[in-house]
Amino acid sequence: MEVSDGGVMNGYTGKILRIHLTDRKITTISTSRYEQWVGGHGMGSAIFFDLVKDKTIDGFHPANVITLMTSPLSGTLAPAAGGRTEVQGIGVQSYPIGWFTRSNFGGRFSAMLKYAGWDGIVLEGRANRPVWIDIRNAKVVIQDCQPLALWGQDTKACQEIIRHYVSGDKSAKDWFAPAENEGERTTQEPAILAIGPAGENLSRMACLIHDAAHGSGQGGFGAVWGAKNLKAVSVIGTGDIHVHDPKALLAARLEQTRQYAFSPDDKIRFSAPSGFHLPPLPGVLWGHPPGAGRPREAQRPQACVGCHSGCRARFKSGLGNGAICFTTLFYGSANSPDIQRQASDLLNRYGLNAHEMIYCDRYLAELHDRGVLGPGKAIDCPLDFNDHGSLAFVTRLVRMIACRNDGNGRPHDFGTTLAEGVVRAAKKWGRLDDDLKTGLLPFPFWGLPVHKEPAAQLEWGWGTLLGDRDINEHDFDWIKFDLLIARAYGRKPRVPAEDLVKIISDKMEPFQGDERMLDFSTANMYSKHMAKLVSWHRYYTRFWKQSALFCDWRWADFVNENAPGKIGSTGHAEPKFLNAVTGKNMTFLDGINLGRRIWNLDHAIWTLQGRHRRLVHFADYAYDVASNAEGLRRIYMPGTENGQWTYMDVRGRTFDRQKVEEFKTRFYKLQGWDTASGYPTRRTLTSLGLGYVADELEKAGRLGSEAS
Amino acid sequence: MNSHPEGKNKTLTRRGFLKMSGAAAAGLGLSGILSDIIWLPDAIAALPVSEGYLLVDTKKCQGCLSCMLACSLVHEGVENLSLARIQVLQNAFEKWPDDLAIEQCRQCVAPACVTACPTGALHADAHFGQVRTVTKAKCIGCGSCIRACPYRPAGMVWNPALRQTRKCDLCADAPYHWDKAGGGPRGKQACVDVCPVKAIAFTRVIPEQQGDKGYKVNLRGAAWKKWKYPTEES
Repeated sequence: MEVSDGGVMNGYTGKILRIHLTDRKITTISTSRYEQWVGGHGMGSAIFFDLVKDKTIDGFHPANVITLMTSPLSGTLAPAAGGRTEVQGIGVQSYPIGWFTRSNFGGRFSAMLKYAGWDGIVLEGRANRPVWIDIRNAKVVIQDCQPLALWGQDTKACQEIIRHYVSGDKSAKDWFAPAENEGERTTQEPAILAIGPAGENLSRMACLIHDAAHGSGQGGFGAVWGAKNLKAVSVIGTGDIHVHDPKALLAARLEQTRQYAFSPDDKIRFSAPSGFHLPPLPGVLWGHPPGAGRPREAQRPQACVGCHSGCRARFKSGLGNGAICFTTLFYGSANSPDIQRQASDLLNRYGLNAHEMIYCDRYLAELHDRGVLGPGKAIDCPLDFNDHGSLAFVTRLVRMIACRNDGNGRPHDFGTTLAEGVVRAAKKWGRLDDDLKTGLLPFPFWGLPVHKEPAAQLEWGWGTLLGDRDINEHDFDWIKFDLLIARAYGRKPRVPAEDLVKIISDKMEPFQGDERMLDFSTANMYSKHMAKLVSWHRYYTRFWKQSALFCDWRWADFVNENAPGKIGSTGHAEPKFLNAVTGKNMTFLDGINLGRRIWNLDHAIWTLQGRHRRLVHFADYAYDVASNAEGLRRIYMPGTENGQWTYMDVRGRTFDRQKVEEFKTRFYKLQGWDTASGYPTRRTLTSLGLGYVADELEKAGRLGSEAS
Repeated sequence: MNSHPEGKNKTLTRRGFLKMSGAAAAGLGLSGILSDIIWLPDAIAALPVSEGYLLVDTKKCQGCLSCMLACSLVHEGVENLSLARIQVLQNAFEKWPDDLAIEQCRQCVAPACVTACPTGALHADAHFGQVRTVTKAKCIGCGSCIRACPYRPAGMVWNPALRQTRKCDLCADAPYHWDKAGGGPRGKQACVDVCPVKAIAFTRVIPEQQGDKGYKVNLRGAAWKKWKYPTEES
C-alpha cells in the first residue's frame, strides 16, 4: 500500500463501495487490498476473481458481479485520462459463451465517484424490485424506483428525474449541499449512469448510458443491470483527491499540452480521427460518406473531465448532443442527416449498443431485399421497408428491440427474437451457419460484429479473436486513415514507412527494436513478430488504457505532428502522470508487465468459463470471402516488400485455416500457455504472482500442461 | 478610506467610474489610470481597483473542468471541484449555448464581499496588485462574504475542513504554483494557462462592471473559425 503524509493514499480515496442488491447490504472494500493492480481493469478483474466463485454462471445470474472502477488518474488533470470508468463482469452479448468482458465510458462519472470518496463500485445480487443507487459522498442509499417512476423511463428522462431529485430546485444555479451537510457544497450536477428500456427488457444489445451519450456499449451490461433490477447509479461528491506532487502534475500537464497537443496556430494538413495532437473536433460520422455530415449549426466541443481535446459536441438544436463514432454511423440510410442524428439520440435514450445496431439494421435490410423478411414472410417482421430511411422506421426498429414487441407496444415475436442479439436471432431463424459462411453476417468472432477488417488490421483481428470482445483500441488504426487522407489529397504520408515503424517499435518495450512487429504484409500475418505485436498491444491496453484509464481516442501517442522528430510522448508521458498523482515509481515497462499479468488473469477467467483452443477461430467467411467491413477503397498499413518498408494496401485478404492454427501455437507459446489447449500453465501464472489462480484452474481441471 | 500604495490617487464617483470602465472595456485602455483611482463617498466600497481580471467565453468552453482542477490543485494541492474558485456548470442535454455557464470571481471594483467581511479578512492585497483575497488568519468562517456576493454561484469557496472561505486571488497565494515567478496579477493564473481551448483570458483592463458583458466575452478567433465553430455573437 502506497501511503503518503497523513496515511492518505495519493490518487485513491481508499474505499471501494460494495453493494449487494439481494439483501440490500452496503459494505466497503479497502482499496489497499487491490492496490497492486493500480486501478481500473486490473482491480476489476481481481475483485471479480475473488468474489465470483463459480465463473461458469450466465451473465444474467444474480451471482454475476459487475465492477465500475476508476483509476488514480480519474478526476485529475492528467490529459485525456481523468474521465473514464471501466465496467467489467460476465457479459451476455458474445456467443456461444458470454465471456467475462469489459467496456468503458467517459464523461464525469469516475471523477465524481472519486470526489464522493469511492475508488469503485462492486454490484452483486439481484434486487427484489427495481431500484437505483443514490450516492452523495459517504451517504449511500438503495432507493426504490417506484416513488420517482423511474422504471420504464428512457435514459434521458431517468437522469433528469434523478438530477432534479438530488439537486432540488437548482434554477438559481447556485451552490447546494447534496448530502444535506451544509459544509459539503457543490455547483455540479450528479453524474448518473442509467439503463433504458432495452436494459429493463434484457435485450442483449443493451448498454449503460451516462449524460447524453457516454455509452458503455459492449457486453450487454445494460441487460445485466436489468436482470439485477438496477436502473441507475447516481453519484455526487464534494471531496478531495489527494495528489502526491501537485506542482509536478500541473507542470507536466502544461508541458505535455504545450509540446504535444494542438495549438490554435497549427496548420493541420490532414488527420486521422484519433490522436493526442488533434484539435477538439467532434468525431461525428453522420452523412454520406461517413463524416460528411458534421452539422453546420452552432456548436461547442465537449470534453470529458480533464481532457485537453474534446471529441464530442453540443449543438444549437441539441440534436445528437455528445454522440460520436458508432452512434453516429447508425442508420446510414436515413433520408437526411437530421434523421440520422435523431436515430443516434434514440439509441442513447433507449440504451442500445450502436455497434451491433448498425449491423442489425443492415442485415435486416439485406434479408428484406432477398425476400425472406417482411410482413408475412419466412421471417415475419412488422417493419415496412418501403419506409426505410424515415424517422418512423428507425423509431419502430429501436423500440421493438428495446421493448421486445412490434415497436408499437403490441406483442410480437420479431422484437423478442431480435432482442436476443443478431447472431442468436439468426440462429433461431435457421440462418446462422449459412450467413456466417457467406459473410452476409459479418460477425467474425464470438458472435460479435466486425469493426475493423480483421485480416487487414491484424492487431485488431488477432487481439479480438484471442480476447473477449471487439478490442476497439485505436493505437495503430490511425495509420491507415492518415495514409488514406494523405493520398486523397495528393500529399506525402506524415512520416515515411521506415520512420514510422522505427518510432513506434522503439517504444514497444520489452519487444523494442523488432520493427517487423509492424510488418502487415501477407508474408508476416502469422509470424512470431506479429505474435509480439498482438501481445504488446494486449499488455499496453490492459494496463495503461484500461487500468490507468488513459483514453483510447487520445492515446497511445506514437507519432505526433507537433513533437520534435514527430516522436510522440508514449513511453515517458504515461508513467509521468501516474507517478505525479500517486507517488509510485512505476516505469512504462512496469505498466506493460502489469498489463501482462492482468491479461493472464483475464485469460484464466475465460478458461474457467470454458475457453479451449478449439473454440478460438474466426467465422467461416473470414477464411473464404474477402470482405470490406468499413467500405474503404484501400487499407494502407506498413509492410515490407522486397526487403523495403512501404505502405501497402492490405484490404481484401482472408485468413488461412492452417496458418491461423500455427499462429495460435506461436502466440500461446509466447504467453507461456499450453499450446495444445490454450490453457494457462502453473509455471507462467506463478511467475506472475498468480499461483492462487493456478490452484482454481487445477481444481476445475483446466490447468495447462507444462510439457508444451 | 483606502489609498493607493503609490499615491497619485485620482478621485471619481462610482457613477463616473462605471461609465469609464465601459469605455475601457471597449478598448480605451484606461487601466493605468483606473488603478490609481480611489472612490468618493457614493462608492459602495473605497478600494484600489485590482490590477487583473479573468474573462471567460462561455460559448467556447469545452466543459472539461480543467480550470477547476488546476485551481484546486494549485491552491490546495488536491483535486476537488468544490474548492475551485472558478465554477463551470453544465447540462449535457441542453442546447448550445445554454448548456454551460462559467462563474469566475470578478475582482469587483466595488466588492460587496469585502464590504461584508466583519474582520477585514477579505481585502484588496496591495502586495499582489490589489487582488481581492482572504487573509487566512482573520477569516472566522461567518459566510458573510458568500451571502453578500451578488453573483450566482457566489464567487467564494467554502472549505469545510478549514471552516473558512477562500476566493480567487489570481493565483497570488498559491502554495502549489508551478511557475517560479508565481501568480497574481503580475504572474500566471492556473486556469488561464491550463484551458486547452483558451476560453479564459487575463486582462489588466477593468471590465465593464454592470451586467455580464464585460466579463463574458468572445475569445473565439481564427482557429475557432478554421475548426468550423461559431465566432460571431449571434
